[in-house]
Amino acid sequence: MRSVLVMKGARAAVELLEKQNVEVMFGIPGGVLLPFYDELVQSDIRHVLPRHEQCAGHMADGYARVSKKPGVCVATSGPGATNLVTGVATAFMDSSPLIAITGQVATHVLGNDAFQEADSFSLMMPVTKHNFRVVDPKLFPETIKKAFLIATTGRYGPVHVDIPVDIFLAEITDEQMEKEVRVPKPKRNLEGLLDAIKLMENAERPTIMVGGGVTWSRAGPEIMRLAEMLMAPVVTTLMAKGSVPENHPMVLGVCGMHGRQVANYALNNCDVLLAIGTRFSDRVTGKLSEFGAKTKVVHVDIDSSEIGKNVKGRVGLVGDAWTVVNALIAGLQKRKKAPTWRQRIIDLNKECSCDYNLKSEPLKPQKVIYELSKNLPDDAIVTTEVGQNQMWAAHFYKCYGKRMFITSGGLGTMGFGFPAALGAKIARPKSVVVDIAGDGSLQMVSQEFATAVENDIPVVVALLNNGWLGMVKQWQKLFYGSRYKATQFTVPTPNFVKLAEAYGAEAIRVERPSEVAEAIQKAIKSDVPFLIDFVVDPEEDVLPMTPPGKTSADCIMGRCPWKGGVC
Amino acid sequence: MEVMMLLVYDQPGVMQRVMGEFNRKRINVETIVVGKCEIPDRARIVLSIMDREKALNVIEHIRALQEVIECDLVDHSRHEAYALLSSKEGLCRLTGSVQEVEEIISKSQPERYIQAMNAI
Repeated sequence: MRSVLVMKGARAAVELLEKQNVEVMFGIPGGVLLPFYDELVQSDIRHVLPRHEQCAGHMADGYARVSKKPGVCVATSGPGATNLVTGVATAFMDSSPLIAITGQVATHVLGNDAFQEADSFSLMMPVTKHNFRVVDPKLFPETIKKAFLIATTGRYGPVHVDIPVDIFLAEITDEQMEKEVRVPKPKRNLEGLLDAIKLMENAERPTIMVGGGVTWSRAGPEIMRLAEMLMAPVVTTLMAKGSVPENHPMVLGVCGMHGRQVANYALNNCDVLLAIGTRFSDRVTGKLSEFGAKTKVVHVDIDSSEIGKNVKGRVGLVGDAWTVVNALIAGLQKRKKAPTWRQRIIDLNKECSCDYNLKSEPLKPQKVIYELSKNLPDDAIVTTEVGQNQMWAAHFYKCYGKRMFITSGGLGTMGFGFPAALGAKIARPKSVVVDIAGDGSLQMVSQEFATAVENDIPVVVALLNNGWLGMVKQWQKLFYGSRYKATQFTVPTPNFVKLAEAYGAEAIRVERPSEVAEAIQKAIKSDVPFLIDFVVDPEEDVLPMTPPGKTSADCIMGRCPWKGGVC
Repeated sequence: MEVMMLLVYDQPGVMQRVMGEFNRKRINVETIVVGKCEIPDRARIVLSIMDREKALNVIEHIRALQEVIECDLVDHSRHEAYALLSSKEGLCRLTGSVQEVEEIISKSQPERYIQAMNAI
């Protein structure tokens, strides 16, 4: 008779993670996780110990966005789980595959307000693609397998598994370990393909708009082929920045509220818009009723619930970007081209490439981005925090070649960029990784310098330090009569150079435009984490800006020299 | 009124997840019936909501849930109401057209009652 091999749940958990080829996990242990961490002692999986669970989530997220594999983060029950919620929600809004594991109090006390108990199953439910609470050890192995499958099937997303401590101590048989699982494949619906092709073939001013779906499915080269065939310009959302080469004359860069004017021009003046892997966020569309009112829209998305969610009544194609774009390329027969449109766009794009090598003092943030764009290598990874730093980076940084741009687009989580940079550096250690930060965001996660130094993760933090919660200040200035409240950090603000040095990182302060390039060169050669404290002009706003809920006609231009007319 | 029928896994947490979608979309559910069905370990949910546009809007989101196997709008030709009344005279059970049931409730003025909509 065949003997039944049994192992402890904790051992099973580690083996299941190893079988999923997990190389690294980001976690903070706690009482209910002790059996699990005890088994990790003997595992080859690298464990990184962040200083806050939220950052464990962001690190796993940054790792996932670079490696295109699920990032694994771990937190204990109660406060560990509640801290992790922001990290998971950030990944959810940007469709990033995350496996979030939380410990939980023992099943026999669940619901009795035990020490460090929180209903993390319910807390995580609306911010995950799916989540599990394991209450039956027999189902534990298949649950973990399902979690990985769900995270990476169809539209990517975070999956949370809540594991009570007694599951880690229960006996799991090898039969349970071997059980295979399946999840339903996402349904494709290409019924509208012929309609879409007909629309595109007859378009006089076709434009392609790509979103995060294109980044995830790595369909950039195919998009560019299609763009050449149609003579159509390519506009990206914030989440797609880096998916197509921004040094190509037909790639117009980021559109939307703080987008490049030529990108918004193409969006508002095209007759057929092919939107791929984007959910038409309000930051892109502005006033929804006006968006694409005169445009025929073909909407491609892997998630059928996105078709018609914001922009209604158009041709919808359900499938992943790579597959659908290839189907479109194969189907395009009569390649009626649009040379006049193409030439107009190329000319406008040249005009829109303004000189932002601003040499005036105080130092302008645009100058910092200009020098980063010029000095970073072609495979650099840039992450951003959220706010003005993010929008300056999105607008002025040029992403091409193997460069990547990683940002919290959907949830807009301040404090995302630094931990995400650490995760990104672990996924691609040979690349230079730079977090373009603001002083507000960095102060939310500055403790992670400890993690960076301890684990020898040499990322660069390019801090645009203006002493304000700059984006909120900008809104107070523009829309609330300059009545500033709770947006200025009163003096003395922290000495960021000393702060970084206290953790064992290197740091310098830069106040002059002439010193920027040299500082960047020094930082990217450093083999320890490096902070550059760029003291920038607090009066500088992120412009151009289309006010929320408005159209491009209401755009506030600032120093933007756009002369292409109303977008 | 629109009637939606779902086939779901019969396990804890499913109702919370399904109702969470209605909550997020600010849809008030008029009536809901849940129970075991002809397939083992599966349950059916039949629910009704007033607004057709909202129903169509939420349906793809419901279908995207991992624990939902099917979700469709159901054709129906007429509405009925079902009510339980409690008064001094005792308990009373009513079924009939919506109008009839509402009339009887307003006439008899029960101390407590529950009225559910039903579509056929």
